Amino acid sequence: MKGSVAVVGGGIAGIQAALDLADSGYKTYLIESKPSIGGVMSQLDKTFPTNDCAMCILSPKLVETARHPNIELLGYSDVKSISGKAGDFNVKVVRKARYVDETKCTGCGTCTEKCPSKVSDEYNAGMSKRKSIYIPFAQAIPRVATIDATHCLFLTKGKCGVCKKVCGPKAVDYEQKDKEIELNVGSVVIATGFKPFDPSILKNYRFDHPDVITSLQFERLLSASGPTQGHVTKQSDGKVPKNVAFIQCVGSRNPRINRKHCSSVCCMYATKESIIAKEHDSELDITIFQIDVRAYGKNFEEFYNRAQKEYGIKYINSRPPEVIVNPDNSLSLKFEDFNTGDLVAKNFDLVVLSIGLDPADSTQALARSSGIALDDFGNIATTIENPVETSVAGIYVCGVAQGPKDIPDTVAQASAAASKAAALLSGERGTLIKERAFPDEKPLSPEPRIGVFVCHCGINIGSVVNVPNVVEYAKTLPGVAHAQEMLYACSSDSQVTIKDAIAKNNLNRVVVASCTPRTHEPLFQNTCREAGLNPYLFELANIREHCSWVHMKEKDKATEKAKAIVQMAVAKSALFQPLYKQKVSLINKAIVLGAGVAGMTAALDIANNGYHVTLIEKEKELGGMLREMTELYDGKRPADVLKDLISKVSANKNIKIMNEAKLLKVEGYLGNFRGVVLANGNEITVDFGAAVVATGARNFEPSGLFNYGSDKRIVTQAQFEKMLGTGVNAKTITMIQCVGARSKEREYCGRTCCVDAVKNAIRIKKANSSANVYVLYRDMRTYGVNEKMYETARDLGVLFIKYDADKPPKVQDSTVVVHDSMMNEDIEITSDLVVLSTPLVAGENEEINQLFKIPLDKNKFFLEAHPKLRPVDFATDGVFLCGSAQAPKLIDEAISQASAAASRACTILSRKFIETEGAISVVNEAKCIGCGTCVTVCPYNAPSLYDATVKVEEVTYTTKKSKINPAACKGCGSCAAACPAGAITAQHFSSKEIGEAIDAFDKGVKSIFIDKGVVEVTV
Amino acid sequence: MRRVSKTSPRSSIYNSNVYGLDTTGIWTCLTCGICPIECPQQVDFLNFIKEERAGKEPLEVAHLGVFTEFNELSSKLNGTKPEKSDLKIGYFPGCVDQLGLFLHDVKTDFGEITTSSLKLLDKLGIKPHILNMKCCGHDVLWQGKKDVFEKLKDHNKKYIKESGIDTLVTSCGECYRTFSKDYDLGIKVIHTSELLDKLGLKINAEVTYHDPCRLGRHMGMYDAPRKALSANGVRIKEMEHSKENALCCGVSSFMNCNEQTKALRIARMDEAAATGAKTLITTCSKCLAHFNCLKTEKDATKKYDLDVVDLTVFLARQLDGRK
Repeated sequence: MKGSVAVVGGGIAGIQAALDLADSGYKTYLIESKPSIGGVMSQLDKTFPTNDCAMCILSPKLVETARHPNIELLGYSDVKSISGKAGDFNVKVVRKARYVDETKCTGCGTCTEKCPSKVSDEYNAGMSKRKSIYIPFAQAIPRVATIDATHCLFLTKGKCGVCKKVCGPKAVDYEQKDKEIELNVGSVVIATGFKPFDPSILKNYRFDHPDVITSLQFERLLSASGPTQGHVTKQSDGKVPKNVAFIQCVGSRNPRINRKHCSSVCCMYATKESIIAKEHDSELDITIFQIDVRAYGKNFEEFYNRAQKEYGIKYINSRPPEVIVNPDNSLSLKFEDFNTGDLVAKNFDLVVLSIGLDPADSTQALARSSGIALDDFGNIATTIENPVETSVAGIYVCGVAQGPKDIPDTVAQASAAASKAAALLSGERGTLIKERAFPDEKPLSPEPRIGVFVCHCGINIGSVVNVPNVVEYAKTLPGVAHAQEMLYACSSDSQVTIKDAIAKNNLNRVVVASCTPRTHEPLFQNTCREAGLNPYLFELANIREHCSWVHMKEKDKATEKAKAIVQMAVAKSALFQPLYKQKVSLINKAIVLGAGVAGMTAALDIANNGYHVTLIEKEKELGGMLREMTELYDGKRPADVLKDLISKVSANKNIKIMNEAKLLKVEGYLGNFRGVVLANGNEITVDFGAAVVATGARNFEPSGLFNYGSDKRIVTQAQFEKMLGTGVNAKTITMIQCVGARSKEREYCGRTCCVDAVKNAIRIKKANSSANVYVLYRDMRTYGVNEKMYETARDLGVLFIKYDADKPPKVQDSTVVVHDSMMNEDIEITSDLVVLSTPLVAGENEEINQLFKIPLDKNKFFLEAHPKLRPVDFATDGVFLCGSAQAPKLIDEAISQASAAASRACTILSRKFIETEGAISVVNEAKCIGCGTCVTVCPYNAPSLYDATVKVEEVTYTTKKSKINPAACKGCGSCAAACPAGAITAQHFSSKEIGEAIDAFDKGVKSIFIDKGVVEVTV
Repeated sequence: MRRVSKTSPRSSIYNSNVYGLDTTGIWTCLTCGICPIECPQQVDFLNFIKEERAGKEPLEVAHLGVFTEFNELSSKLNGTKPEKSDLKIGYFPGCVDQLGLFLHDVKTDFGEITTSSLKLLDKLGIKPHILNMKCCGHDVLWQGKKDVFEKLKDHNKKYIKESGIDTLVTSCGECYRTFSKDYDLGIKVIHTSELLDKLGLKINAEVTYHDPCRLGRHMGMYDAPRKALSANGVRIKEMEHSKENALCCGVSSFMNCNEQTKALRIARMDEAAATGAKTLITTCSKCLAHFNCLKTEKDATKKYDLDVVDLTVFLARQLDGRK
């Protein structure tokens, strides 16, 4: 067994898996074939359904990955093969030649600027040019240049060599060769993602026309970092389009080209892209041509509704067979209008093809060479009960490599894969990671002795700002004992220079004037620490993003501004005091609430990782809703799956089961919770470091809907599922979808109901092929690989009838009348059974959300920390979420989420101690009046109130006082800003420090002045 | 009355003005105006404090000085000009919008003071010219920022002159004091409460009334608000300390927010609760904010079953038939 894992693929799936594993104490290799990690998500403008900026949420993850001491990033590297067995794999990796020395390159970009060779830029989906030596995008990690060997003039023709000449750190190396290395690891996680479908295969869609583009190209057009800076223009003439058509399912749901799967994300990304385009240009007319709108995820239906109501985006239920290029080179589409039955032709300025997700060739090649089984679609094969385990023990899979899915499901699977790999190697945890050793900190002398290092950043700063001038100015500032310039402050030789300067000049504060703290602060803090200075005695002055890049054309003023920025940093740093991260002990145990399939999986995974778990279930029997089911989608018997799971849980020595139990009270914080559980009439205290909420959901009772309750031949899908366990004797069965869902009362989509209905329809037909089964639906949402079941059902003769929400079917006794919206006529079905498909609704979540102070959404499901990148986390540290308690989901998804929650919990349980932030907020008890404002504003539950007696002269009264828990505080400063009594200080950002910096702004700086006149204040 | 702080007028005067030792005393003073009432020598202690503070830095300002920052910023801006109007009575709403914006956690609709005042004036047949001026400058004046005050005052004086009004109505105790004593407007300044006895309402309710120090001891207006209530049928249950002996709410130009001022609030709310009335009425938006802050404390040690409302809001709600 080796305590290391290779993660193949550096998209969001690989990144999440790597971070979880590294946080849990495993040495992790993250292998990415492109020059930078980030995957397709890095190309997205926004993410649905919240319209968060994709790069803004991804970039911090990229930086975290690059910084993580336990992650070794192998960028621009391909995995050739995997051999060996669980616990001991050999992974052959080809490190492709970048022709640039990664250790020397500082990412300054000078080479790119000077390179004369322009080629098509794949980051912008071929719609712009980049240079032959390039950094793929601004936030790329690692931030090093790569030479495109197929286009480089020197490498192809032996001419040029400019990049080598201009490279300051001498990083360009034309002699570099591909290098094969072998990694010996305990486990492998495959996260190789997908390949966007190439629409040129479908000749009828005329992808050769410049105004027929893919959805990924449209995404780049919308992006501010895209080829047109976010202005949507036609590729043919650069003009702004007036109307745009999206054609859905291009490369999906198409058996003719062997793409039988639904790609799961296209309906929502088309909706998102349409909304963003409308936000850019409200005049734009957008039509989305679709077969079914598959808005099945959390808040997706609401998003789809908003697109129609607020943005006026039109959805037409028709898939145009072709894009017609008219003689004048304009575009038109022909489609059927179901309202009139007419064939309509309409002109469009721009046609966007919503391309599907194809399995990547490299995934299939790797699977074949390493003996990993693929499914019918070419994805890595898994099963419902083990959704991240491949056919080879010890090799796990996550993300789209396992099947099409959206980002939150991908992230959940990534954590799940990490959990499995970590459980396999739990005996080796922490064996291959090393902790850094630092010299003792020097005692802080009272007088500030500040060192200022001003960076040229190649030409990024130096060509605009007069750096020597800024250095001379810095020398005159109060407290500055040393100032010098540097070509690249971040290069490794500069770190040595800084350390020497600290020692030689006895510096006790360091200011580096260069770029953004977001990426570079940890580096310089580390340098300070290595020189014996507390890392919080360091300050960055950003004279690149805040100065040279935005004032390129005003060099003199930019120099003055740089001086002012340096002066502010110097003034602020003079007040800095050392801050220390505290180490707080923790309890390496967890609790899991709810023993359904999600709760049991989470408990088992945590237990297999080596930690004790208390599994708390309110019912007598374990199993939750799975006990009510009689068949899984793959034909397995749920009872068998449950029996296996329950026996594993019961036999595990690390798991303590408390059934017929209820959590009454919780106090404490991350790593140190204490709960009181009521079980068998006794109140039992349970201490734990992390908790997983897996309390599930319940079936909706459709009282009064479709005459439910009036006739025993009208049943719910859940009841029907049970009936099927013993056999159903009915000739004609009519199912009605969306009963109590996608309605005014319950806006969300039930997600599982379509798949359940199709599954049960197939069961009936297989048992009795002469039975008539009708499914009345609004949109069939058999997303992803479930599309295959929909196809099977149709092959078996199940009839699917589409109805409109405003013309719902009518049920009288057991006769159903439905208005078929495609035929535009009423159909009467005399049925033996009417089955109502109802959604899952939230259970008793309101009690638990009070216990842990975790939020609920408007449907009373639990609200995760972030809908995209933190799907199983809560904003409250140490508490995690999985299964239908978060939103309705299928069993394999609930299992993935459960393993993910376990993985996230293990990143905490694996720690020896909880390290607090250094720059946290503190309360001055004497000033606190106990109003509780801090408690209200804190997003992390860090402040709490305790009783205190106040004696002021002749008056004594009892009041509350606030204290901030250092383990929970993140130092955001919200409380300090809101405290009416000024009793709270956000350390490192105190009013005094910020105030001194502001006051220092225009002292002695000449040419910047603020224009007098009207100042608009917006609050 | 019980002592909650060791502020002594005499030591403040001696330390800061005679010995030149320590100026803490001039800043911890709440300027509630009770010592001049008691002083046998009739020392004008309030003016002493005001003058002594001028040009000095306050020890601290509550709410991180955000209201002060606002006034400093506003004093530098151009401001608006009055609309053309022949109306002779002007109404100035004061700072209710700023209070509403930053003090949302005290769950008080400060703007309702303005809408209520206008409803009541309308009922009385008065159509006022709404004055969109800058802050009267009360807080900055008492915080020692005389330069800022002068700028605000200059603007407002010019504004009032250009508006052509001959009477300025305000519902705020602080505005009333400032326009009356710290400006020399040369026109009539009245507080809303002086007009409200003519409303002719028949209200069957029992309330207690808190005299704000600005309207009460600073300006000697004790009877008008009481008459505004009793003339409309409201029964007033007086607190242990009232009129010139009334306890301060502790807010003092948003300068002090500490254990001492909290003790004052508790003492005052206890007195109000002891009257048995369920409504505590005041005529100063800061008193209102301060009492409601205590009431809305998260996880408060003590719960008060008291509705704290401004006089105009109370009356206007009766007018609307609301509680």
